[in-house]
Amino acid sequence: MIQADLNIILPEIVLSVFAMSALVGTVYTAKDRAAGLLTWVTAGVLALVALWIGLTGEGVNVAFGGMFHDDAFARFAKVTILLSAAVVLVMSQDYMARRGMLRFEYPVLVTLSAVGMMMMVSAGDLIALYMGLELQSLALYVVASLRRDSMKSTEAGLKYFILGALSSGLLLYGASLIYGFAGTTLFSGIIGAAGDGQAPLGLLFGLVFMIAGLAFKVSAVPFHMWTPDVYEGSPTPVTAFFATAPKVAAMALFARVMHDAFGGVSNDWGQIVSLLAVLSMFLGAIAAIGQTNIKRLMAFSSIAHMGYAMIGLAAGTALGVEAMLIYMAIYVTMNIGTFAFIMSMEKDGKPVTDISALNMYAKREPGRALAMLVLMFSLAGVPPMLGFFAKLGVWRAALDADMVWLVVASAVASAIGAFYYLRIVYYMYFGEEGETLETGRAPVLWVCLMGSAAVMVLGIINLFGIEGAAAAAAATLVN
Amino acid sequence: MTNGGSLLPIIALLPFLGALVPGLMIRAGRNACATFTAVPTIAALAMLGVLTPDVMAGEVLKAEIEWLPQLGLSASFFLDGLGLLFAFMILGVGLLITLYARFYLSGDDPMGQFYTYLLLFQGAMLGIVISDNILLLLIFWELTSLSSFLLIGYWKHLPEGRQGARMALAVTGSGGLAMIAGMLILGNIVGSYNLTDILAAGDVIRASDWYLPALILILLGAFTKSAQFPFHFWLPHAMAAPTPVSAYLHSATMVKAGVFLMARMWPALAGTDAWFYIVSITGLITMVLGALIALFKDDLKALLAFSTVSHLGLLTMLLGFGTEKAAIAAVFHIINHLTFKAALFMTAGIVDHETHTRDIKRLGGLAKFMPITALIGTVAALSMAGIPLFNGFLSKELMLEEAAHTAWYQNDWIVPALATLGALLSVAYSLRFIFHVFAGPARDDYPAHPHDPPFGMYAAPALLCVLVVAIGVLPGLAYPMVKVAAQAVTGQELNFYLKIWHGVTPALIMSIIAVVGGALLLGLHRPLARAWNAAPRPEAKAIFDALISALVRLSRGVTDGLHNGAISRYLAIFVVSTVGLVYVAFSGGTLSPPTREMLPVPPVVAVGYVLLIASALLVVLNHHNRFRALVLIGVIGLMISAGFVYLSAPDLALTQISVETVTIMLLLLALHFLPKTTPRESSVGLRLRDGVIAVAAGAGVAALAMVFLLRDFDPISDYHLANSYEGGGGTNVVNVILVDFRGYDTFGEIIVLGIAGLTIFALMEALLSGPAARRLRNTDYSRDRSRDRHPLMMVVATRAMLPIAVMVGVYIFLRGHNQPGGGFVAGLVISIALLMQYMASGFGWTQTRQRLEYHTMIGWGVLIAALTGVGAWLGGAPFLTSIYGYIKLPLIEKFGLGSAFAFDLGVFLTVLGAVMLMLYSLSRIARYAGETVNVEPMDYDPSGKRELKKPEGE
Repeated sequence: MIQADLNIILPEIVLSVFAMSALVGTVYTAKDRAAGLLTWVTAGVLALVALWIGLTGEGVNVAFGGMFHDDAFARFAKVTILLSAAVVLVMSQDYMARRGMLRFEYPVLVTLSAVGMMMMVSAGDLIALYMGLELQSLALYVVASLRRDSMKSTEAGLKYFILGALSSGLLLYGASLIYGFAGTTLFSGIIGAAGDGQAPLGLLFGLVFMIAGLAFKVSAVPFHMWTPDVYEGSPTPVTAFFATAPKVAAMALFARVMHDAFGGVSNDWGQIVSLLAVLSMFLGAIAAIGQTNIKRLMAFSSIAHMGYAMIGLAAGTALGVEAMLIYMAIYVTMNIGTFAFIMSMEKDGKPVTDISALNMYAKREPGRALAMLVLMFSLAGVPPMLGFFAKLGVWRAALDADMVWLVVASAVASAIGAFYYLRIVYYMYFGEEGETLETGRAPVLWVCLMGSAAVMVLGIINLFGIEGAAAAAAATLVN
Repeated sequence: MTNGGSLLPIIALLPFLGALVPGLMIRAGRNACATFTAVPTIAALAMLGVLTPDVMAGEVLKAEIEWLPQLGLSASFFLDGLGLLFAFMILGVGLLITLYARFYLSGDDPMGQFYTYLLLFQGAMLGIVISDNILLLLIFWELTSLSSFLLIGYWKHLPEGRQGARMALAVTGSGGLAMIAGMLILGNIVGSYNLTDILAAGDVIRASDWYLPALILILLGAFTKSAQFPFHFWLPHAMAAPTPVSAYLHSATMVKAGVFLMARMWPALAGTDAWFYIVSITGLITMVLGALIALFKDDLKALLAFSTVSHLGLLTMLLGFGTEKAAIAAVFHIINHLTFKAALFMTAGIVDHETHTRDIKRLGGLAKFMPITALIGTVAALSMAGIPLFNGFLSKELMLEEAAHTAWYQNDWIVPALATLGALLSVAYSLRFIFHVFAGPARDDYPAHPHDPPFGMYAAPALLCVLVVAIGVLPGLAYPMVKVAAQAVTGQELNFYLKIWHGVTPALIMSIIAVVGGALLLGLHRPLARAWNAAPRPEAKAIFDALISALVRLSRGVTDGLHNGAISRYLAIFVVSTVGLVYVAFSGGTLSPPTREMLPVPPVVAVGYVLLIASALLVVLNHHNRFRALVLIGVIGLMISAGFVYLSAPDLALTQISVETVTIMLLLLALHFLPKTTPRESSVGLRLRDGVIAVAAGAGVAALAMVFLLRDFDPISDYHLANSYEGGGGTNVVNVILVDFRGYDTFGEIIVLGIAGLTIFALMEALLSGPAARRLRNTDYSRDRSRDRHPLMMVVATRAMLPIAVMVGVYIFLRGHNQPGGGFVAGLVISIALLMQYMASGFGWTQTRQRLEYHTMIGWGVLIAALTGVGAWLGGAPFLTSIYGYIKLPLIEKFGLGSAFAFDLGVFLTVLGAVMLMLYSLSRIARYAGETVNVEPMDYDPSGKRELKKPEGE
């Protein structure tokens, strides 16, 4: 019994043991001198675990009496999370080492938060959900303030922590209301108590508080306030991390709670989620226009993108979940490429984040500029880049669920949002002659940028077949 | 039919494959590049030629390839008359432009790059006109935006080009994104994304509720692309591109894509009032406005650009009329406009190339120097003016004929009048192109000496002029093409004739008015231009820029308003949103009627309640004074404990009281090192806002609690009540829950508590080795130091109390499993007893008498608890399963002992260790700050027999 349970969570156990032994091992030996090596090793381990989960996992395995689900949905999310975390680690190494902020805790914390995310996407119970969420968040609070000597970084970490604590409190409050009403913390029990069509008011309150807490994690408007400050304040590799794996985990968790625990009352939450989605898309699109700091701009961009992904969730159908998963996978890939570029932006060895530094960049580095052009077009959702297919998927799902107004609203938002992505392209190709921006050095960043751009173009052939996996994943979640 | 259709994907793919070649052979030279660009175009033209007979016979060729079916996307193509017409135009003009560009571009320009972009663009355009799947169409549509962006920006060194490219991309790109939504809605209404299905389902679409939104979104895409009012401003600014690009994109192809789309969607969308008014009004305004601006432009290309805008408006208006004749006129004019406008652009390019200027004011009399060019330009311009025997005349007649009997809102003169005005202006600027550039006296101040270009350069426009005249004289030549395309647009069999002489019709009269008026207008051009330049008029680009900066301001406003960096604002938004969401949920749900009565309120409870509320209020009012706030918080804590007692929850009460006491004492000690008051940083308004938010949130939570308290639901306590004795061997359910049912939680909690103690210790260490230590050193606490720090009474009392308190602790510990109490409370009680010793006699004195290592104590506590849990494994049970049994000790009664007892011991040790470690950390800081260390229990010897040792400073 316990043997079988432990077997199911073996990947999580392996990663936890790895993280803790890495921590203890390094503390007593080389400390920060081993940080570079540890970062690479950790990335390797994360990637291996991702492969392991992706290649060997099959069927639906339930552990610990329903508290932990290992199904196609969880595996899809886990593979995305682990791979993106691994890539971000690899990208960080050189950047952080050169600026003297590579600490051995960094890969360990990233691993721990990845374990938390794996828990989140597999949660089948409110307690398991909370455990995963907090493990993830605590690690993230710390990495956000990794640069302890920087005012901005510590401020970012502190803000994130305070707001995160508030959101956790709301989430817990909601969870306890749900528990009080349903008499169980298991999703499988809650879905029975919630019934079909209309949830009892008590559960509805619990649901609303849960949504508020989860919306914070996916940085959906109006719970997004932390995002720009944290994106701007954190060291760029950390920002890249924030923009990728945790977003996938939070969206997946969101979908899991909504469908596994409240699948019968999708009307109730569908409206709230679509409201959050519309707000996020518009605020993201409008607020990004005025930004001059590219990291802040990407923060608003991620807010808008979460809005689009939430359209898939709001649809409340298997098609919607499938579209959402594909959206997230594509979004993560785009962001990795974009952040690889942002990390390589520097002037006289110092990182630059101002957009105007991109002026006439295409003249000096046509290859990289072209890659960025592809990525920006893809982020804007302009056909034929992969980003368009992501949007197309969620729109299809929304139309399928008769949410035409949502599609119209999001199309308007995406037309507004296209402006600021195109502005970056404009600066690179037609900006005014100014000081020169250096990008170069790290070959890893070049590979990530070019790879991600290539994916955006080549992916249109068959989406690399991920839609099959996403469909299978969605089928296990929605039935 | 299938064999013919199978060529379509190849035709669509050819330009893209071909695009790779010039890009790869940048160094191979201009001729090689141009040749390799021409090859795929010629191949595609040849294949198209093969298919032509079938299409002319009225067949619709189809080909379909599976591609991401779950997204509704398939690579399906179809070719009908309209597609064929456009495909010929795109490929044919593409070929001519390839030739022209070979001579136009200088050797310094990167040729390969240019041709790659050109072929990419050509492929995208071709894709638009032969796509069957609307999603595929959208992909090609945006691909034209992308490749045209690259083409327009080809000459990066011109600042004009930069602005133009950006505006073109921003306008057409955004329009395209809006169109995507429209197309998706259309597909949703019909249930298929195949264009052929959609075109067949026009009635369903027009009857749908979503017809209007879909129409508006699709027209947004079409209008932005075809530069219709009010989006017309981007086109002239895109003219900074090299002239071959202007000629290709802005005469023949890209701007026609919007017109093509309207024609394509004609069977599905046209025929409603919404279509008629939106499209025809937009078209007519654009036509007149574009022509008017064109007349006063001095830049040759700007003149042509605005004339293009005007002609596109004309086409839009015709499609908007929604009649079959208008559709015929539109198709015919598409062909004619292509021929003369492409020729004119190339002519303008030649003039620019040879004289190095495009400013009309610096030109004139060129006919003497470059007669061939002048001839070509004149023929094309006359056609544009609509002079008989040139093809522009024919379609203009058809247009005027349609306009002559079109009424807007029962008004039957405004459309003909405006259409005539448009034609008149068109004549004026066409004649200006001839007279102000080629005619007139020769000048000697041209920037460069003009002469005719080599044959290769004027071959393309010359060929087009041949077409202009041929169609103009023998309209029957174009008849089959016009017919088959117009039938494709309308979806009906059409019978009509194209001829030069229709007799004296209203259209002819309007045409004569236009020509005469246009000539007169040109005569008055000089004074009119002065007036025009002096008149204030909205500059579209300025409006665009103002719009953008307004958007940026809005954006800044949003971000400044929301994200001012203050966390208090973030929290406020957070809380308000949550309250709002809960309110939405509340108003949406139905509440079952309450099942419980309100209980009567006894006076004691009322007093306690008032005290609680009053002290909560007082905390808010007094929080700047830290000491007072702390005292008030203590009151609140005690009142809550009293509440627990009243509601028969002695466990909670005990725990609450002891936790309350310990925390208040520790906080008191910590307060010593902090300023006595906190600064006031918020304004009154801000505090008022926060107050309102707090009251709303608090009232909401209270209401929520009330709702739950007034209703019955299955409580979870029954299970624990039933199982606590049997399963956990205790009658105190709370304690059994803590150490048994929820043993994991408790185990986790003591670990957390232990870590908290250790963290405080670690922080203190870091603090004392950091910069804060200096500040501490320099703080002067002597002022608030009491003269009798260790009063006799307190020393004696605490000494006497110690054994009693310890005994109470042990008692509470032992009875814990069955009665209120337990390891946690016991740990706290004993900590309080010890804390009192420290307070009474000072840390130093007490420390020498009590030599336990707190770190170890925490460690042991956790270890014992863990071992107890592990012990369960020996019995084959899961971790932390408790075993329970009775032992009989001599002298004492029968005694129940569970493994939970040992677990509780672990809890006890951890709690005690953690609290004492916190105390130790605080006192370290105190000593650092200059506090002295006592060696004696009190400051004065009560017996007075000996002198007490002085306290030692550290």
